[in-house]
Amino acid sequence: MRKNKARSIVIKCFALLLVFGTAFQTMVYKATAQDATTPYPASPYPKMAPVEQYLMDRSAEITLARSAAPESISRDATVLVLGRQGYETAVQGKNNFVCFVGRAWGAAFDWDEFWNPKVKAADCLNPEAARSILPIVYLRARMVMAGRPKPEIVSTVKAAFENKQLPDLEDGAMDYMMSKSSYLTDQGGHNLPHVMFYTRVKDGKDWGSGAAASPVMSAPYWFFSPQDESQLKGLPPILVFLVAAPNWSDGTPAGQHNE
Amino acid sequence: MWKMKVFTNTIKNLALMIVLVLMYQAEAQDAATTYAKMAPVDQYLMADRDAEIALARSAAPESISRDAEILILGRHGFETAVHGKNGFVCIVGRGWSSAADPDFWNPKVRVPMCVNGAAARTYLLRITKITDLALAGRTLAQVNDAMADAVKKKELPPMEPGAMCYMMGKQGFGGDSAPHWPAHLMFFFSDTDLAAWGANLTGSPVVGIADPSEHLTQFVIATQKWSDGTDVSPSLPTHVHQ
Repeated sequence: MRKNKARSIVIKCFALLLVFGTAFQTMVYKATAQDATTPYPASPYPKMAPVEQYLMDRSAEITLARSAAPESISRDATVLVLGRQGYETAVQGKNNFVCFVGRAWGAAFDWDEFWNPKVKAADCLNPEAARSILPIVYLRARMVMAGRPKPEIVSTVKAAFENKQLPDLEDGAMDYMMSKSSYLTDQGGHNLPHVMFYTRVKDGKDWGSGAAASPVMSAPYWFFSPQDESQLKGLPPILVFLVAAPNWSDGTPAGQHNE
Repeated sequence: MWKMKVFTNTIKNLALMIVLVLMYQAEAQDAATTYAKMAPVDQYLMADRDAEIALARSAAPESISRDAEILILGRHGFETAVHGKNGFVCIVGRGWSSAADPDFWNPKVRVPMCVNGAAARTYLLRITKITDLALAGRTLAQVNDAMADAVKKKELPPMEPGAMCYMMGKQGFGGDSAPHWPAHLMFFFSDTDLAAWGANLTGSPVVGIADPSEHLTQFVIATQKWSDGTDVSPSLPTHVHQ
């Protein structure tokens, strides 16, 4: 009986892994990649889709972006929308939070859904993340929308860090991802409300991430499963932690989804 | 029915906020109305060493706490009962460090927590120092003054980036003011603006508590399961006395 209960918990945890967001998906990918008996799955999205597929109706994008956080936070946030040249400010805020709809190509470079145009991940970055993560988001979006290939995006980001054109990560950088309307991945239920923390912590185990029954999960920001050290050279280590939120941003319980 | 569920959830978050604010922001309260002075030291100790170790470990899932260092309370402060190997340290906090001010001398308070390595090097030093002061018979006011002074003189370090702790034990007792702790994680910072995390705003899952005297900011996020993997019920848990 006890064993059955434990197994049920493990299965539930695995199911939870499958339904988490973008960074979460990379963790599943990593787990798969680390299993020597399981070959890398062929990416269902081997190349960039037509640009139009990544764009949204402006007003719908603003609404989706704001839905990342409770209204008490997002109503005063700056809101970005994706244009043909990258992200642009649609609404100027006053609480130093910045909300936007992330696309798959904003996640780990080796994610197999990197070019998935269905991914629409609503984020609201806190001020620390807005100052230190958002410049990376801006740069990557500009390059993607200009049609630049992934290796060039990686090398440009590295050069930008080397030339101090991108800032160091600030302590306390975090991100609300509690939208009921996000599409985070093709896997599982596609969505789950959570908050994320961008850190310089070297090892997820320092937060108990990945331990059985731990509510904390983690994934590297740049590459999930780097082929070798040179792939990471020039990129500052950023480890992203995730903690599930009990509610969607509108206050409804996490188990309930109207979409 | 739908509205009722939303309402229940709001209440749950509100309850969490009330409990935690009661526990951590009690400086302004009229202290020690029930427990006016220190009880005999024995009442703060747990006679059963194994029970204290087990209670301390219950703060985090077994996968974390089984390899953690365990401290237990002795007559002169916390002492190592089990050496760990994963950087986490688990203890059972007492009223003077882990309850609202009216429960400062409440000998029944037992609050299990497992701090990670970064918090063990920073936050935990405050817990152990408060404990040393209390066991030496210092009053609440004297402890507060001593802590503020130690922080000011840099005898106690600022919070290290990434300092956090698990408080997911089902069996703690937070004191008469707030007996029942929801399962949660805590994150420790030095002098961080609560607004920077959107804390304490309507609908936010983040509860924030600032302690200006110790230059300490704590953020709290509820978890949906206890450390043993069971679901946190919609209502606050029934307390299990030790």
